[in-house]
Amino acid sequence: MAKQFGVSDEALAGLNDPESHPFPPDQRAALRFADAMTTGRGEVPDEIFADLRRHFDEPQIVEMAAVIGLFNYFNRFNNALHVAITLIDPEVLAQQAIQATTTHAGQALWDQVVMLLGTGRRFVRVELHGRGRDRLTLLARHGSPPSGGPDTAVAGEIEAVTRDGATRTAGDIILIVPARHASGVVGVVAVQRDQPGAFDEEDRAVVERVAEIIAPHLATRT
Amino acid sequence: MARISRIARDRFTGEVRALFEKFLAERGNIPNMFRTMAHRPELTTTLTSHFRAVIGPGTVPIALKEMLAVRVSRINTCDY
Repeated sequence: MAKQFGVSDEALAGLNDPESHPFPPDQRAALRFADAMTTGRGEVPDEIFADLRRHFDEPQIVEMAAVIGLFNYFNRFNNALHVAITLIDPEVLAQQAIQATTTHAGQALWDQVVMLLGTGRRFVRVELHGRGRDRLTLLARHGSPPSGGPDTAVAGEIEAVTRDGATRTAGDIILIVPARHASGVVGVVAVQRDQPGAFDEEDRAVVERVAEIIAPHLATRT
Repeated sequence: MARISRIARDRFTGEVRALFEKFLAERGNIPNMFRTMAHRPELTTTLTSHFRAVIGPGTVPIALKEMLAVRVSRINTCDY
């Protein structure tokens, strides 16, 4: 959601480690306040609060404390009850997939995939998104479709996956959709959960959209 | 796996149903947290109202509030 409100990709990346990103002084003060409120017992040192006061008036500080408090509430609620990530934003998911295949770590991962494909394996499973309880997984695909048609894939622990169904594999449910590009299926995007019936129509629509977005990127890499 | 079920779409009623239709129109989905919260409709409606008041237009730029929300969620290793 943040991008819709004008937060840049650089700023979003900087939020992983705000102290090493050149945020303007007012934003830096607000972020230090958020960190102090969120870690430990939520004690905010006097110097952090004094810095906050230099940039914001009292209604603004109250508003920011409410945002920080509310998201701590949301996060704790979700973490405690294992609420699954809502697949609401295919653009964001796709961006994560693309970044994972193009960043330094992702590149190494991808090189490994290419190497494995070179040994004659038809599919390689790459985990892109290990955080949280869902894993966004990309199945790299190489060569002509196996028998069974373009919507059927066969790969290691994934015994049979089809466009229209989730398949139980070793206790996991994998929703998997093909990524298509001009020349045909160039990859597969899968989201894995460990509960039966974990996916509904809206999840599938989102994952299909992700596959559509990343297909051109896969096409240039396989 | 989720410890609490999320309420199926066809089980939303009354005020919660109206709220969720608004979510769908605005963002194309209903966050799982709110669907989980829907086990207690009163909490869903008041939480949604509070959430909109907190994150919506106020005295601090929405972009900064979004950044704070993202930062807090990253510290808590919760996807947002």
